[in-house]
Amino acid sequence: MPIYPFVMKSVKPFSFRWLAPAIAAACTFTAHADNVDWTTQLKKADGKTLRIIMIQDPWVKGFDTIDKEFQKLTGATVVVDSFSYDDVHQKEVLMGNNKSDSYDIVVLDSPWVGEFQQGGYVVDLKPYVEKDSAIIAWDDFVPSFQQVATWKGQYVGIPFGAYFVMFNYRTDLFQQAALQPPKTIEDFFNAAKSFTKNPKFPGMFGTALNNQRGAAVGQAYFEYIFNFGGKPFVSMYPGSPDPYADMTPLLTSPESIAVVQFLKDMLPFQPPGALNIAWDQRANAFATGRIAMVGEWSVREPLYSDPNRSRVVGKFGTEVFPAKQGVKPVPPLGGWVMGINTNTKQKDLAWDYIKWFTSKDTHKKFVLIGGPPSRLSVMQDPDVLKQSPWIQTVYESQSLTFADCRPRIPESFQIIDKVGLHISEALEGSVTIEAAMKAANQEIGSLLKQAGYKVSESPNQ
Amino acid sequence: MAKSPLSTYGLEKTGSLASRREGFFARFSKHPATPFLIPAVIYLFALTIYPFLYSVGASLFNLSLTSPKPPSFVGLANYKTLLSDGLFYTGLANIGIITVSSVILEFIIGFSIAHLFIAISDIRASHLLRTIYILPMMVTPVVVGLMWSYILDPLFGIANYILGVFGVPPQPWFSSPNTALWSIVFINVWQWSPFLMLICMTALMSIPNDMYEAAQIDGAKWYHIVTRIELPMIRNTVLVGVIFRIIDNFRLFDIVFATTRGGPGRSTEIISLYAYRQIFQYFNAGYGSAAAVIIFIIATIIATFAVKFLPKEAIHA
Repeated sequence: MPIYPFVMKSVKPFSFRWLAPAIAAACTFTAHADNVDWTTQLKKADGKTLRIIMIQDPWVKGFDTIDKEFQKLTGATVVVDSFSYDDVHQKEVLMGNNKSDSYDIVVLDSPWVGEFQQGGYVVDLKPYVEKDSAIIAWDDFVPSFQQVATWKGQYVGIPFGAYFVMFNYRTDLFQQAALQPPKTIEDFFNAAKSFTKNPKFPGMFGTALNNQRGAAVGQAYFEYIFNFGGKPFVSMYPGSPDPYADMTPLLTSPESIAVVQFLKDMLPFQPPGALNIAWDQRANAFATGRIAMVGEWSVREPLYSDPNRSRVVGKFGTEVFPAKQGVKPVPPLGGWVMGINTNTKQKDLAWDYIKWFTSKDTHKKFVLIGGPPSRLSVMQDPDVLKQSPWIQTVYESQSLTFADCRPRIPESFQIIDKVGLHISEALEGSVTIEAAMKAANQEIGSLLKQAGYKVSESPNQ
Repeated sequence: MAKSPLSTYGLEKTGSLASRREGFFARFSKHPATPFLIPAVIYLFALTIYPFLYSVGASLFNLSLTSPKPPSFVGLANYKTLLSDGLFYTGLANIGIITVSSVILEFIIGFSIAHLFIAISDIRASHLLRTIYILPMMVTPVVVGLMWSYILDPLFGIANYILGVFGVPPQPWFSSPNTALWSIVFINVWQWSPFLMLICMTALMSIPNDMYEAAQIDGAKWYHIVTRIELPMIRNTVLVGVIFRIIDNFRLFDIVFATTRGGPGRSTEIISLYAYRQIFQYFNAGYGSAAAVIIFIIATIIATFAVKFLPKEAIHA
């Protein structure tokens, strides 16, 4: 949601007398926002230490480089502690629950936003954003990510690391096979089939999907369901006025069954051990040149272009994530926002850092050293596009995505994990797809009902 | 009558209070080691008894760490739900299979390798070899899990490469429900056979040589020596090690977490992973505590039976 409605709300009727000059001043400031005078914008904090907790993703190293500038400007020392996905979630929740101030800034993944707002673990950043609206330039953030960063009217965090699942394919192999890059799920299936066990492409497999039990395959379901023209819950679909109004699960719908059937049908076109493939394995399989295509989070793109770690440098192209024929693609969205720990005693310093780090200028620097682009201006910046042409696909994806493509409620992790368990059982063949999805539907329905969401007895399919 | 500490330090009794004090100290005089147990009791209470009681308390509440709602008392409802969850029973069955098969294999391998090391004890390099053999035991289990997940990676792992050299097709290891559990057992056995080897070796070295000489004179074969001399004589010592391993297997977590996360499907689901998921991933602290309490009770029952099974001389050894 754009920031302006809030600004308008805060302006009293008589203020219209000075509204015009205020807008003019804001516009002037915005025009120069790329060259903010940080010495006046940031308070001195000599001797203070700002602690940030975040995911251990490839771009974390960039903080060391970028943060030196903040340290020079404020005198504060910035300490970044990064952990694995599960660990960072666990530590942040326990920190909030124990009212600990061990970290000032918490970096949150999109599905945790509701959980952290409802738990009261993060500060509402709305007043801060309003105060520094010109520097924050909220409308410049990817619109879907603006939504991701908010929950029930509260600004839970400021976006800085938007991810999209993008489709990567080997340009050299597709040329050799005289195939066009897949635009639809059907194309994807056929291309995967044609590259596997093909004497023209020895040792090559079509693709690698997230099939590992738990979050990996659970998230894969949410990546595909909208692209199969389905929806996981009654009210959860792109354009929904309230995605959480009716949480009756639709895991037994024909589209849901088709997604799992697709995941199962794709198994023969994947490397050995396909049932245990998760994020790292699918990215490594593509980077080492063993698969022809991969749908992967955009944060992995720098890996494929790194000659020290990739055998496909200069041999791959990117496309928007495919959808079933006749269905409008919904590229999966994820990524990170920066929030302020409710219990920190350094809220102003934390905000100074967030304001500085997420500003247009610093964000561009961050993207140029491998950070995930999250601002529209940076995605269209010639320097950025010259260095990372794949960001053009990110730009195309952002306009098609759906903020709630994975639920953002406190029960999100449990839902994804339960879906992941039952789909894994269907993939390994111990139960039928229908039985697995029926069990998932019942369990998730009962979980959501207990948590107080609206769940109908007989799902409307 | 033993001299009380009061009189030792020249303090005379001055009334009934003093008399009670004398009685208190007199009791300590009868059991002079008692005060020295206080630190251990405090430690036990702080790190074992209190957390356990806290878990029992939490298991009676609907306690979610991420919910803004205050915890509500639900009595035994968490236990009822838990005991009707098929996944929990799968976890129990799997840990049973892992424990039984791992301990049997660890003993057979440990016993055989112990014999080997005794046989080559005259060789100078035997100490070095023994040190190398026990190295896996010293590595953190999660590192062991990660290491083997690379070795057994079906696409890039060295295990399938070596099998390929001998014409064996690539194995799915962790990605097939038929092999995943046995891959976990294999890693577990690799890491912990050295433990039973050390115990077997110590026990075997304590058998007097006369026994072997007498057996040889009587014309005993190697399997007679193993079954009629060695196993009966090392039984008590080895049982202590086996009990340790049974209890340890019940706590197995890291290897499964690092390799399969309980999959494919439910094939490597174990109860510790089930409890972990509830508490640290779903943040259902109440329900997860109920799972932890059940695990504790089962482990206590097994340990109690195992200790009862041990002869008294093994306990007091």
